[in-house]
Amino acid sequence: MANSKTVIFKIKRQQTPESKPYWEEFELQYRPGMNVTSALMDIAANPVTRQGKPTTPVTYDSNCLEEICGSCAMLINGQAKMACSALVANLKQPITLEPFSKFPIVRDLAVDRSVLFENLKGVKAWVPVDGTYDLGTGPRQSSEMQEEAYPLSNCISCCCCMEACPQFNDKTGFVGAATIAQVRLFNSHPTGKALKTERLKALMGDGGIQECGYAQNCVEICPKELPLTKSIADVGGQVMWQAVKDFFRT
Amino acid sequence: MASSASSIDTSSARIKKGVAPLRAGQGYSFVLRRLHSLSGIVPIGAFLIEHFISNSEASKGVQAYNDQVKFLTSLPFVHVLEWVFIFLPLLYHGIYGLYIWYKGDSNVGEYPWSGNWLYTSQRWTGIIAFIYIAYHVIDLRFLGVHLMGGGYQNAFSKVWFDFQSPWTIAFYVIGIVAASWHFAYGVWLFAAKWGLTTGDNARRKFGYVCTALALVLIGIGLWTITGFVRTPAAQVPWVEHD
Ligand code: HEM
Ligand code: SF4
Ligand code: SF4
Ligand code: FES
Repeated sequence: MANSKTVIFKIKRQQTPESKPYWEEFELQYRPGMNVTSALMDIAANPVTRQGKPTTPVTYDSNCLEEICGSCAMLINGQAKMACSALVANLKQPITLEPFSKFPIVRDLAVDRSVLFENLKGVKAWVPVDGTYDLGTGPRQSSEMQEEAYPLSNCISCCCCMEACPQFNDKTGFVGAATIAQVRLFNSHPTGKALKTERLKALMGDGGIQECGYAQNCVEICPKELPLTKSIADVGGQVMWQAVKDFFRT
Repeated sequence: MASSASSIDTSSARIKKGVAPLRAGQGYSFVLRRLHSLSGIVPIGAFLIEHFISNSEASKGVQAYNDQVKFLTSLPFVHVLEWVFIFLPLLYHGIYGLYIWYKGDSNVGEYPWSGNWLYTSQRWTGIIAFIYIAYHVIDLRFLGVHLMGGGYQNAFSKVWFDFQSPWTIAFYVIGIVAASWHFAYGVWLFAAKWGLTTGDNARRKFGYVCTALALVLIGIGLWTITGFVRTPAAQVPWVEHD
């Protein structure tokens, strides 16, 4: 045998949103360049556990396979990571795969991350351009503004920053770093600015920016390297000014 | 294929568990949380600095220390001052701090990074400081010889007698280190959260400033302790009291 190297996966599985989780082990042939998503594809092609027991293919989310759609986030060896860019060669074995721990489980490794969508709606993370007539082109943005904005626009809504955040849980209902970064992005946009006050007031609600304990896990874990702690500090300042204005001027 | 695909329901609307989305426009946690943050700087942190500097008079000897206590205890409305600017803010910050701690889920096991360690250490140094301060205040402010209203001549002696036990000294060292560290990192957190140090470089540089602040406070605190320990029993007056 030219290449008999194998990889062991321990995968936490769960049949339905309500049922009990259980672990299954798989042993796969190692292939150069193998990543966690491709390993899950191999399992789907031959769903037999390490003990030789036939089982169902593991359910997981994925789409782009190039770390740009944000769908494949899961706990890999206990840490939030994107499965498609997690190279097996770089991971300690046996490799454990678990669904995110702070999001409702749909099945196996697939979780429901719609809370981020709700949060983005809550802060109006968009540029308001809807109208009854053509509004024409927007104001020009300087290259400095573009340089600040571009990294923020890279967010892929994977929710890694929220999963890894010690403050993001049922007790706080914290909005999480991703939404705060998008507030910074849209508040800095010349047309998006129109909703700045509404966004900042939304972030003062329960579960808002105040819940951040500045542990900085978000910025460490973010696969797209968004400047999250910088955004939290910047938006934290914006929110404070808004609060001071509200207090003294209304 | 007999069964239809509709048996698998992936609609997110049906899944009602999980972390609640942002409650825009609801609740008071923003004000309470920012008040907690501010109270750590003023008045508590400001008092901490004043307290360390005042007590360092001990390194100049019995007379200098007692004079400083005389000055502080003779401030007008001293009881109002101590409740409004010290005890009540400390109780608020401490109790709300425990509530903040309870609500967070420390996860240094999974994510052993320095910011995360500091997040966790801010909780532990907080509780250590709280227990130490509670003991310190009850012992020296509320029990034993009273220093208010002319009792200031006993100030140095009261602390000096306490320090005859090495356990007390050890507890003071722990309390001083914990409170200094908690305050210094608290200043750093405050600057980051209130948007004073937005840039990564600014936060890194301010980190050095706050580390220096912690070390200076610890240094003053330990120097003060040696002021008591170095003083021989013969120099310590024992003033009769009832
Ligand atoms: C009495 C017991 C105390 C407890 C339980 C406590 C707890 C806490 C906690 C949990 C935080 C972190 C808040 C967060 O990360 O969001 C914090 C922050 C802080 N604490 Fe304390 N603390 C205590 C005493 C003190 C004392 C004695 C001082 C001042 C010398 C102090 C000054 C600060 C400061 C300046 C902050 C930063 C505020 C911020 O997070 O923005 N604390 N405290
Ligand atoms: S800085 Fe820490 S507490 Fe704040 S959002 Fe990021 S991980 Fe969460
Ligand atoms: S900020 Fe980063 S970690 Fe958070 S959702 Fe966006 S891409 Fe993912
Ligand atoms: S499959 Fe799109 S990010 Fe991994």
